[in-house]
Amino acid sequence: MDSFTYVNIFETKGLEYLLLLCFWVLFVYLIRYLSPPSKNRKDWH
Amino acid sequence: MDRRGFLKTTLVAGSAALAGGDLCAQETRDPEEFVGILVDTTRCIGCRACEVACGETHDLFVPDVLNDGALEENRSTSDKQWMVVNKFETEAGEVFVKRQCMHCYQAACASACPTEAMEKTKNGPVTWHGNRCIGCRYCMASCPFDMPKFEYGEWNPKIQKCTLCFERLEAGQKPACVAACPTDALMFGTRVKNLEIARHRIYNHPDDYVHHIYGEHEVGGTGYIYLSAVPFEQLGFRTDLGTRPYPEYTKEFLYSVPMVLFGVPAFLLGLNALIGGPQPGQEKTFELEAGDDGGGDER
Amino acid sequence: MGVVMNANTAVSGEFSRFFHFLMQEMKPRGPWLTPFNVISIPVIFTGVVIIVIRFIYGLGAVTNLSQDFPWGFWLGFDVITGVALAAGAYVITFVVYVMKVEKYHSIVRITVLNGLLAYIFYAGALVFDIGRPWQAYNPYIGNKFGFSSVMFLICWHFFLYMVAAFIEFSPVVAEWAGWEKARKFLKSITLATVILGITLSILHQSGLGALFLMAKPKIHPLWWSEFIPVLFLVSSVYAGLAMIIFESTISHRVFRHLIPHDPKHSFDDILFGLAKGAAIVMFVYYFFKALLFIHGKQWSMVNDAWGYWFLVEVIGFVLIPGFMFAFGYRNRSLNIIKIASVMALLGIVLNRLNVSVISFKWYAEVHYFPSWQEIVVTLMIIFTEIWILRWVVTRMPVFKPAH
Repeated sequence: MDSFTYVNIFETKGLEYLLLLCFWVLFVYLIRYLSPPSKNRKDWH
Repeated sequence: MDRRGFLKTTLVAGSAALAGGDLCAQETRDPEEFVGILVDTTRCIGCRACEVACGETHDLFVPDVLNDGALEENRSTSDKQWMVVNKFETEAGEVFVKRQCMHCYQAACASACPTEAMEKTKNGPVTWHGNRCIGCRYCMASCPFDMPKFEYGEWNPKIQKCTLCFERLEAGQKPACVAACPTDALMFGTRVKNLEIARHRIYNHPDDYVHHIYGEHEVGGTGYIYLSAVPFEQLGFRTDLGTRPYPEYTKEFLYSVPMVLFGVPAFLLGLNALIGGPQPGQEKTFELEAGDDGGGDER
Repeated sequence: MGVVMNANTAVSGEFSRFFHFLMQEMKPRGPWLTPFNVISIPVIFTGVVIIVIRFIYGLGAVTNLSQDFPWGFWLGFDVITGVALAAGAYVITFVVYVMKVEKYHSIVRITVLNGLLAYIFYAGALVFDIGRPWQAYNPYIGNKFGFSSVMFLICWHFFLYMVAAFIEFSPVVAEWAGWEKARKFLKSITLATVILGITLSILHQSGLGALFLMAKPKIHPLWWSEFIPVLFLVSSVYAGLAMIIFESTISHRVFRHLIPHDPKHSFDDILFGLAKGAAIVMFVYYFFKALLFIHGKQWSMVNDAWGYWFLVEVIGFVLIPGFMFAFGYRNRSLNIIKIASVMALLGIVLNRLNVSVISFKWYAEVHYFPSWQEIVVTLMIIFTEIWILRWVVTRMPVFKPAH
């Protein structure tokens, strides 16, 4: 019942960093998507 | 233990220096002094004398144990009954298990209570103070064993749960259930002693017990500890509660509260100063007021 | 305090003037038999009757709460969801007073008023839910303080935040009552109360999540995480933004005649700005969820009903409305933004209820479901709040250009 099994709580760290990279790539796209092209800027503000 | 030892020495030395030798053992309370109850489920015969004794002692519901057939259903404690005995069909035959508040070392309910109405007393029992309780039921939501019960049918509800017969302990008596047990399935004593007895039994009869003492490490250790001949899952115990004391789950948050209160206002003020310039609407305030006096009740 | 200063001149004269003024203001304006009144008045009266029954016969008489489900709809929806939806006040005061963004200035008053009333009513709903409300002063001036309790913090933060929000709003009250000196004084402490309010909001928005940290074995692992406080805080930001969009769309329709035209910052521009903010916050929140999902290796749990339910919440009511905000902003479509705000709000309701009620003891054979009385009392609270809001908005200078 109280046997020892090796548990690595950081098993998913690699995947997590991969997710982070995805996030930054997509985030840059989102911000660019939300920033209107510069020639129209006047109308927006 | 090192730090505890150090603190203890410091406290004792300090109080000795201050009070001139008036040593107060209560100040340096040691969890080893906690009392608890050892439940050996292999010895329980399901007579439910403990249920009757509990009900009579605390003016609660007293079951008619000979005729009510309550062992046939799986009951839980309620606002009318602080403890129940349940029957389980297992690979080792019928096993009877007494369930009640576990009187945790570090009780989730006591740390959850906004008014310290739930209190982990110095010698082990977790008790409830009606004059402090606001009835928020956070203790019920937090308890890993779901033991605090609420009187939903009362205008002035109480939280009901086992008190380890706190008053009887103060009078030098054993808890009522222990006193009523005819088979020594329940043993009252300091938790350390109970653990020694439990280990002793497992060691001497390795084939009669699973080699696990429920409550030794669960949720950081409980006042009630259990011995069993079958794995505890078969007796309705949760074995997924972990060994971390439950109050520790809120530790990080509670630590961060003063940090936020130090840091965030200063940060916001700094940010505001950094941006500079007038506050929004500051300049036009006076212009507007000149032309628009007397409040907005006229529309 | 301002009252005292003002009263130096002619105490009794000022008092009787204000009393007559108040009596005048108490009179109803506009027609009585509007659809809203016809629906809300019976609901409010039924709710009052239910509350009376609750205080005589106990919580069990009107709620479906049980020993297994100590917290139900009143706590899960009224308090935990209601407070999340009231987050707009701290977000917008941060933007306007700390960051000094003039653009959103015109919606500060109505948002702070909404936040203040939401706290008074939704956090105030705790009085019905707790078993011994006559001892509710105990965490404040009682015989014992539970310093180790998250609930203790929440009690204090609610109270202090209500004071802060009231001070933030009080210049409007002073202006309405004609207390000029008081107004100037209250105006001068706005920044301080705003900063206090933001700090307290950060703590109790996350604190409402921290309430569930110790319920670890009872909440479905897809919803329990040691980061619940962070998730609650981040999601409260977009909950507040979505609520402002939703609520101000309605109030701009209902109170159209009260709202002056602001030539510099059109109302649409404000909504677009809020939508952009909401899109970014929701994107970040979605990735927080994804990180926890990966860290917990939770893909093994998504292939049952609870898993699908989780995906509905996270994808259907976070990711999709987030993209709709972005799309609506980019394409200047107010309709898409309005739909997105409703979906985002539903997502917040779903999330808060999932954590506090729906996935609580997901393994139980008999699950809690709110009784009709619980729902009626909740509606009573919402309707009463709207009544008070309408009274304040039609009498006090809430929509005037704030200064």
